[in-house]
Amino acid sequence: MENKINYGPSFSEEVFQNVDFGEEIKMCMNCGVCAGSCPLREHMDYPPRQIFSLIRAGKREEVLSSKSIMLCTSCYTCEVRCPRSIPVIDVMHGLAHYALKKGYVPRKDTADFGREFWNQVYKIGRIDEKDLPRKVFFAGGVVNGIKATLNFMDIGLKLFLHHRMKLLPEKKIKGIASLRKMLDKAEKIGKGGTVT
Amino acid sequence: MKYFLYWGCSLEGTGANFLVSLNPVCEALGIEFEEIEDWNCCGASISYAGANDLAVKVLNARNLALAEAKANYDIVAPCSSCYIQMIKINHEIQEDPELLSQVNECLKEGNLAYKGGIKVRHIQDVLYNDIGIDAIKAKVVKPLKGLKVAGYVGCQSVRPFGEYDSVNKPVVQDRLIEALGAEAVPFPNKIKCCGSGIFLPEIDYCLELAKNILEDAVNHGGELISTVCPMCAMNLEMYQGRVNEKYGTDFDIPIVYLTQLMAVAFGMDLKKDAALHYNVIPPEGILKKAVG
Amino acid sequence: MDQKTAIYICTGCGIGDAVDVEQLKENGTEDFSIDLIKDHSFLCGQEGLEVITKDIEEVGINTIIIAACSQRVNYDVFNFGGDKVVERVNLREQVAWSQVPGEEDTQMLAEDNLKIGCAKAKDTSVPEPFKAEEEYSKDILVVGGGLAGMTAALETAKAGYQAIIVEKEDRLGGFLGKMKKLVTMPYKELSDTGAADLIKSVEDNPKIKVFTSATVEKTTGAPGLYSVDIKANGNSLTERVGAIVQATGWVPYDANKLGHLGYGEFKDVITNVEMEEMAAAGKITRPSDGSPVKNALFIQCAGSRDPEHLPYCSSSCCLVSMKQATYLKEQDPETVNYILYKDIRTVGQSEDFYRKAQNDGNIFVRGTTTNVGESGGKLFVEADDELLGENVKIEELDLVVLAVGMVPASQPLEAPRIKAPADAEGADEEGMIEVAPDSGFFANSALNLEYRQGPELPTLKYGFPDSHFICFPYETRRTGIYTAGGIRRPMETAKAIDDAVGAAMKAVQCTEATAIGMAVHPRAGDMTYPEFNMKRCTQCKRCTEECPFGAINEDEKANPLPNPTRCRRCGICMGACPERIISFKNYSVGMIGNMIKAVNVPEEDEEKPRVICLVCENDAYPAIDMAGIKRMKWSPYVRFIPMRCLGSMNLVWIADALSRGIDGILLMGCRHGDDYQCHFVKGSELANTRLSKVSETLDRLALESDRVKFVEVGISDYEKIPEIIGEFMETIEEVGPNPYKGW
Repeated sequence: MENKINYGPSFSEEVFQNVDFGEEIKMCMNCGVCAGSCPLREHMDYPPRQIFSLIRAGKREEVLSSKSIMLCTSCYTCEVRCPRSIPVIDVMHGLAHYALKKGYVPRKDTADFGREFWNQVYKIGRIDEKDLPRKVFFAGGVVNGIKATLNFMDIGLKLFLHHRMKLLPEKKIKGIASLRKMLDKAEKIGKGGTVT
Repeated sequence: MKYFLYWGCSLEGTGANFLVSLNPVCEALGIEFEEIEDWNCCGASISYAGANDLAVKVLNARNLALAEAKANYDIVAPCSSCYIQMIKINHEIQEDPELLSQVNECLKEGNLAYKGGIKVRHIQDVLYNDIGIDAIKAKVVKPLKGLKVAGYVGCQSVRPFGEYDSVNKPVVQDRLIEALGAEAVPFPNKIKCCGSGIFLPEIDYCLELAKNILEDAVNHGGELISTVCPMCAMNLEMYQGRVNEKYGTDFDIPIVYLTQLMAVAFGMDLKKDAALHYNVIPPEGILKKAVG
Repeated sequence: MDQKTAIYICTGCGIGDAVDVEQLKENGTEDFSIDLIKDHSFLCGQEGLEVITKDIEEVGINTIIIAACSQRVNYDVFNFGGDKVVERVNLREQVAWSQVPGEEDTQMLAEDNLKIGCAKAKDTSVPEPFKAEEEYSKDILVVGGGLAGMTAALETAKAGYQAIIVEKEDRLGGFLGKMKKLVTMPYKELSDTGAADLIKSVEDNPKIKVFTSATVEKTTGAPGLYSVDIKANGNSLTERVGAIVQATGWVPYDANKLGHLGYGEFKDVITNVEMEEMAAAGKITRPSDGSPVKNALFIQCAGSRDPEHLPYCSSSCCLVSMKQATYLKEQDPETVNYILYKDIRTVGQSEDFYRKAQNDGNIFVRGTTTNVGESGGKLFVEADDELLGENVKIEELDLVVLAVGMVPASQPLEAPRIKAPADAEGADEEGMIEVAPDSGFFANSALNLEYRQGPELPTLKYGFPDSHFICFPYETRRTGIYTAGGIRRPMETAKAIDDAVGAAMKAVQCTEATAIGMAVHPRAGDMTYPEFNMKRCTQCKRCTEECPFGAINEDEKANPLPNPTRCRRCGICMGACPERIISFKNYSVGMIGNMIKAVNVPEEDEEKPRVICLVCENDAYPAIDMAGIKRMKWSPYVRFIPMRCLGSMNLVWIADALSRGIDGILLMGCRHGDDYQCHFVKGSELANTRLSKVSETLDRLALESDRVKFVEVGISDYEKIPEIIGEFMETIEEVGPNPYKGW
């Protein structure tokens, strides 16, 4: 479902109010330096500056379901070059978070990876490196999980043989309960309110 | 000189060779590390998928608060992703009093508070500015003569703040390599992105990024690539086979941590201290030739 | 003056190694009576200068020929007082540095240069500065009492001179007085216009006389000697002034021509000027029914950067729209402003105001307007959105503001028509012809000059008065009259203030220089002026018409009536006159003729061609010097003769040169045409036109027209000098030696 261009402020306002760093897009002057700098620009459907234009043009569907917002590698090249000092990384991440919250799932694999990552952080306070990939693989179902595991088994094996895989599972940090309380509070008072 | 060492979730796993070589090298240079007790994950570059921005800030503020409560040493985060998360969030908290109070409101839930008094440093920064090239040179007993190293800087060890090095033309790692007696080859793609945390889920797109970096290093005569980030090390080392498959190349270049090179140059044990046998693409041959 | 001539040859800077100085002394002065010839190894040093000053004192030398470096350097060093004649012969850049040292041809070149110098010195007299009979005025007239005019007057007063402002409205202030607020340095937020304070400081200033509801009826005279008839509030009076600053400002582009954007059709489509006036008067509301404005859209480049309307950008409309959007937001923070633009042009630091406008939440859309219409009592605008590649419709608009451009007050609504001269083409049935923009009869009335060439300043492009903008921004084609502000080009307030300061300074300089008989730019400091031998004048009026500055009027007997203080001393009149009656004390047709005759022309069998190169002093001569400084090399057969302007070239020189056996004549002048570089505006063009008459003569003499060539040379073209000369020499070789040699 595509929107027609509507420069009325309704979607912009939604972004300003609910997306972390959303109001920064006001400053974009469409110079295109971010688009030219991005390492994954060829695979993005809309480069950063176009995402900002689309927000201002009220193109809600295109923005929230775009590949681009999930393809940011956080390399900061665009951000150091932006003549308007827009924190592009933070805006893209903010949009991705908002899109996922609203039920859009652009780039399922990456979305799954991100979500499992956070789930683990929330659960034990640290990442279990050997456990996380497994969780991500199986997030797409058992069949996908087995396929992916077999696919990457050679890497896993190499790491294991070269002492680069912790054998024991990662333990919960001692202060996990208080960490969760802190994170819950942050979710509540942060932008956009509680997860819908 | 005392510092907090923030391990991060990969230093005991995929980044084990980094941790193993870091400790003896720093000890030899007079650096004393203290661990931040009960530290938690920094959230790296992918936590936005699950958490809003404030939660990620609070996640890191907990570590900063724990450190501050103990002592006012600088925090050294060897992993670039951990470094960028902590230094960025630290700057934002220090510069925005409203944000600081919001963060503290959340930290209160865990009986913690952060006043904003800690500094976060990169290991390259500490080696170059606090220890100094001369002190490092003094410890070199087996200069890596004639060794051509492509010093891969990556994204997050200098951008976006350029705290201790230029964001466009960084030189600190090259100077450190040269201090060991090796040659730092010109390497324009040293600041190009490797794909970072989304390499695995977006492997189809990111293999090209890895290829460009490997190609540039090899074309400029690099015999091995040095790095300071477990993410970069992982992406460049473990997927070389897949890069070769997709592009018909024949890369077989070792990816070595800077501290591993330092351990070798300092004359330390190749296994116990430099952890060379942890590397999947073996660097022993090239390194042994260099030290003679 | 009884000339006692001395030649001083400097052998430094490589000159002594390049030529045989003793031979030079002998051959270079053949046919001339020289009282003293000396050489020194470091002439510009203290010791060298003492040699000269001693000779002046003891021997009474009054004509000094310095054969050394270029005339463009060390003129302050070789200055022996206004009562001496000093001639410079270029032996360094144009001989020692650009030729092969020790060669025979190099020697011959040096000798010819010295002979040319001797010929020049012989015909030079000490200039007597022009002094008018009437008393000079140093007051400055400022026409126009807006921001530029008031600033010019204040600066004039600050410098200690009397200023007179003539303002046609009933009060000072111009457009500044009609604005609500200003956006200026440091461009962070709106500021007060400051109009009231500025007006008060002008009115309170004892050195400024203000006439409002006033116009200039007539201006007679010349710089230093203007007599201005002013009609103010029904009273007539006359003021005498020394120079004039025209700051008559601008008018907005006629929006009635923008019907395609809805102007005239919908009451709620207004111009930025109307918007500003509405804002200054109080509240901004919908013109149709007075209801509040919730949504407003600004269409940028309305009738600007458009070949069908104004082809140029008015440089300030982007800032103005952002300013007016800010008015709306200040009135009601909920207002939604759309700014529809082609490009945003907020130059320099004004970019900061663009940042502010973005930060305030104004919506910038890049696109081309396709339609403005009405629906349900509100307006809508359709546009092709350039960044998203789609058509967009922005609806529910209460107000549409067209950001129209600035048109100079001099631009007439329609080109005026006058009775066509007898030989003119393009006359209509009534015998009327359209006046060209570069004519003094084109612009709207402001100064009413009693000049034969027309009452107003000639314009160049889009109705703006012509000025050589690269070198002399405030100058116009009328000496002593300077433009500032919106009349000169579209500009915002910060630039208008700067402009006014510059123009006031030039005006003051003009009055001071004129009072002592000195020329102003570009021949600043020149004490000569053209003298007319009226006995032989045939009243052909070529001088009168061709003078780019309208310096020559016509008297009752139809003779040319020169006004020396209007003159820029270029000599274009001298070049135009077929009877050769015009001359300067140190520059005349006869003198150049003698300089050409001084050149030694070898016999045909010696196979040494000779080419005379007439070189414009403004760009071409420096280019040649620079080529010499870079040690570039070129043919030794060329003799350079500097001209004040190629326009001063008289065709008789070409005839003379060719009849003496000179093989070719190369003319190097500044670029002419639309983007002209000629420092006297029309000189280079006139020289080129005159040359077309020469080719006829040449054909009659059975000489190849290739022998005379005009080349446009800019000051940055120095690298091309060897190529230009080389090409010409090849042509000369092809056409062969001049058959008139030895006659």
